[in-house]
Amino acid sequence: MKATIEVTGLRKRFGRNVALDGMTFAVRPGRVTGFVGPNGAGKSTTMRVVLGLDVPDEGEALVGGRPYRSLEAPLTHVGALLDAGALQPSRTGRDHLLWLAHSQGLGKRRVDEVIGQVGLDAVARRRAGGYSLGMRQRLGIAAALLGDPPVLMLDEPFNGLDPDGIRWIRGLLRSLAAEGRAVLVSSHLMSELEDTAGQLVVVGRGRVLADLGVAELIETASRGRVTVRTTARAQAMEVLVGAGAVVAVTGADTVTASGLVAGRVVELLNGGGVPFSEVTAHRATLEEAYMELTRDALEFEAAG
Amino acid sequence: MSRALRAEWTKLRTLRGTGWLLLLAVVLTVAVGAVLAATLTCPWGRCTRDSVRLAFGGLQVSQACVALLAVLAVGGEYGSGMIATTLTAIPRRGRMLAAKAAVVAGLSAVAAVVGVLGSALAARLILPGTGYPVPSPVDGPTVRAAAGSVLYLVLVALLAVGIAMAVRDSGVSIAVVLGLLYLFPLLASLVTDPGWHRFLWSLAPMNAGLAVQTTVNVASLPIGPWAGLGVLAAWAAAALLGGWLLLRARD
Amino acid sequence: MSAGFARALRAEWTKFRTVRGWVLGTLAAALLVPLLGVIGASASSASCDKAGVEVACPEPPLGPDGRAVRDEFFFVHRTLDGDGSITVRLASMSGIITYPPPDHDRIVPGLVPWAKAGVIVKDGTEPGSSYAAVMVTGEHGVRMQHDYTGDVAGRPGGAPRWLRLVRAGPLLTGYESADGQEWAEVGTARLPGLPERVEIGLFAASPGDLTVKQSDLGGIIEQARFTETTARFEQVEVEGAASGEWRHTDVGATPGIAPGEIHHPGHAEKSGDGFTVTGSGDIAPAGTDSGMPVELTLTGVLFALVAVVVVAVLYVTAEYRRGLVRTTLAATPRRGRVLAAKAVVIGAVVFAAGLAACAVTVPVGKRLLRGDGNYVLPVPALTELRVIAGVAALLALAAVLALALGVLFRRSAAAVVTALALILLPHVLAVVSVLPVGLSLWLLRVTPAAGFAVQQSIPEYPQVLDLYVPQAGYYPLPPWAGLAVLGGYAALALGLAAVRLNRGDV
Repeated sequence: MKATIEVTGLRKRFGRNVALDGMTFAVRPGRVTGFVGPNGAGKSTTMRVVLGLDVPDEGEALVGGRPYRSLEAPLTHVGALLDAGALQPSRTGRDHLLWLAHSQGLGKRRVDEVIGQVGLDAVARRRAGGYSLGMRQRLGIAAALLGDPPVLMLDEPFNGLDPDGIRWIRGLLRSLAAEGRAVLVSSHLMSELEDTAGQLVVVGRGRVLADLGVAELIETASRGRVTVRTTARAQAMEVLVGAGAVVAVTGADTVTASGLVAGRVVELLNGGGVPFSEVTAHRATLEEAYMELTRDALEFEAAG
Repeated sequence: MSRALRAEWTKLRTLRGTGWLLLLAVVLTVAVGAVLAATLTCPWGRCTRDSVRLAFGGLQVSQACVALLAVLAVGGEYGSGMIATTLTAIPRRGRMLAAKAAVVAGLSAVAAVVGVLGSALAARLILPGTGYPVPSPVDGPTVRAAAGSVLYLVLVALLAVGIAMAVRDSGVSIAVVLGLLYLFPLLASLVTDPGWHRFLWSLAPMNAGLAVQTTVNVASLPIGPWAGLGVLAAWAAAALLGGWLLLRARD
Repeated sequence: MSAGFARALRAEWTKFRTVRGWVLGTLAAALLVPLLGVIGASASSASCDKAGVEVACPEPPLGPDGRAVRDEFFFVHRTLDGDGSITVRLASMSGIITYPPPDHDRIVPGLVPWAKAGVIVKDGTEPGSSYAAVMVTGEHGVRMQHDYTGDVAGRPGGAPRWLRLVRAGPLLTGYESADGQEWAEVGTARLPGLPERVEIGLFAASPGDLTVKQSDLGGIIEQARFTETTARFEQVEVEGAASGEWRHTDVGATPGIAPGEIHHPGHAEKSGDGFTVTGSGDIAPAGTDSGMPVELTLTGVLFALVAVVVVAVLYVTAEYRRGLVRTTLAATPRRGRVLAAKAVVIGAVVFAAGLAACAVTVPVGKRLLRGDGNYVLPVPALTELRVIAGVAALLALAAVLALALGVLFRRSAAAVVTALALILLPHVLAVVSVLPVGLSLWLLRVTPAAGFAVQQSIPEYPQVLDLYVPQAGYYPLPPWAGLAVLGGYAALALGLAAVRLNRGDV
């Protein structure tokens, strides 16, 4: 089976609310794909559609080229973490994994393996009702890993984790992707995916706003902004505006020019005899890039 | 206290199904009572049955709706984790329990009054064809049966509130309430010793509570009409007390 | 069974057994049955008073099939060896009914519907022995009856009537005639246990008349009143090797208070070529008024039912409450398969628990009841097995119905109330409350409570006047038909649940 998720033209309404509005993207094997967007952008609904839990009004979602509901032993194809709180509190974590394993024709040994993998050995035989949020997330991830699936889909796995836990998940996700799996991880905070995701699907208002590599996204957001530190601020502005840049004063001795690359700025300043102590090409953070992309979606939400 | 009352009233008002359950309680009270009244006969010209008790017999069915309403009013919150919100909003637990009980009791009383009046009206329309006298609003025992029926339904609601407070799961609590009402009388039937039989009979909340509806052969009852209602009131009080103590003891 | 379904089944079983509350709930349900059975059995005692002394109550005789019977009648008979026949003209039938309603203050002439007089061949005069008889009844025309339960209707109408009963080996054939010339066969009976030597003769019997009063506190007050039949037989003719004189026997007579005294004795006088015979009592299977049916030990089942319903409902609503149902359906995307697996698991678990509980309770309860002097009506082993397995099936079907309601409502309280209102409430209202009997019987036909019919061990016989009401342990539907009604409701609810589960989002 190909390790892919393909989502094509999903549309879905809940009453008058449009949850999905032509959601289309693909998740490829061998890398972590971040699925980001503000709350209510349609991330969870998309994942539920992929798992055959919600029925879309239009469009289709395929896992390895097949609809989820046609899969026998689906957890050996896709592992998913939707809601870590979805547990029977009086059942132990190990028993929770055990019934899931039995539903896929797997045995006790596999259960104990994944318990070890997520580091729950100490509490696995305790009632899940007493678990902390972090333990629940680990249990949910163990459930996703149970069938050793080529495709993984995790909804907000960082929620409620301490810094150690976040670091652990990041490492786990990277290593899973490195094994050639397709990994889709949703988050409403871009910062959580930094250094982890290779590809980003940014969504808002039920559709894809951008589907591109992390480097590419940062490049797009940073394009043509250069900060100049100079004692001759007015002179510098004159030269740069003359060359067609949009210039803004950003400090007592700094101006920022847009529309010119850093090399050209240095050339112009040297040519005009303007003294400067520093020229920095601006590099946007992933967060800034994301904010820029989703601004419209957020504004819409605020207005609506 | 009035703030707590208003909060509970808003919560119950916005709970899905409150209105439907109350309506169903009224409809069942009247409809079952009407069917029972319509099936009354006078064998060999002797009208010996207790027509008033049968006319108000719909309560035996509609009490389940009121109990469900009470359980949902309390247990519905455990289900969704809202009890934590409620307890934070109104820190005094006793006050919360009192407010909840008062609102549920008030709504049950409204349903009971409407249902009992409806049953009495239905009996006035139906009974003339059967040979039994129509219930009269000035007849002492009839008025006692009507007023007692309203109190009965309110007490059942309070009993259910108390049990729902003590038992956290709403499914389990409604089962306990219905078991207590409908199955306890069976325990009495298990025992053949007449003394014990009468004792267990008058201990059963439904048997004892409905004694208040009796207008014929009152002396032959194992327990008097008002004393019977008192037994039910004791059950309700014990349940509320138990619910309050358990709520206080728990986090 | 597909591999996929087997996996779903195993997962659901693991799910069930790993929640302590559900296992304990099922266990509690199973324990309630013997517990209440034992309490009930120990709390019931019976003794009879004889001349101021407490004695064990007389037990009814047992018929050829081992069931308790009533065998009381006045018998005028001769001994017959081998094949032969008896022919008589039943000239008239009259009788008295004591203290009928409304005022219960007079003794009036008349025949009760099942007053009977006619000719009979019987294996001796011991109560409970094998017999076949042709008779005229008060209101049900000519009948041929044998071995207490067999009953074939002949032509309607009463006396005068010619009757003939022919014995050929084990085969008994009954005839009737209006004029003694043209005979019509009423029926035949095969009595394999009938010996060569039998008693052949005339009989008269008249069962007690019933007055039923409904108590306002629930329950039924039943009163049986003495009645008597007098039949005038003419032209009595016995063919075959009949020896000896005509003898008179008051079969199954009830001893009176004074020594040697008979309560309501029958009698017969010779008149011309015939006899005038007066008797009371009945030759018929015994009903629940003669003793306790075995299912009385299973009162705890009603309590167990409540626990079972709660467990079955929680088994599914707990998943909705926590969103676990999404995990379940992601693991097994065929939703019908999940529902079927759940139904099989809860049904099988409850059936096993119920079977164990009932299999222990019935024999233990019977022993305790007998120890306290109660008479437990004997039933064939197969019937007892049916009661035990049937009640277990009743609990299992109730659990499946409750499970389906859980899927339909997704909320535990609503599902529990609906399940109990459907299964338990009609039964409770019909059995212990003030509903009119007609209404009770309808409730027990059309609601899921019809399933309780499966526990009825003493059948209803149309040829016996008894109080056939739920309060006395009689249900309007036959045992398996009643269970089928409950099964139908469970299947319907499961179907609706499947539709609800398959339609749309979870």
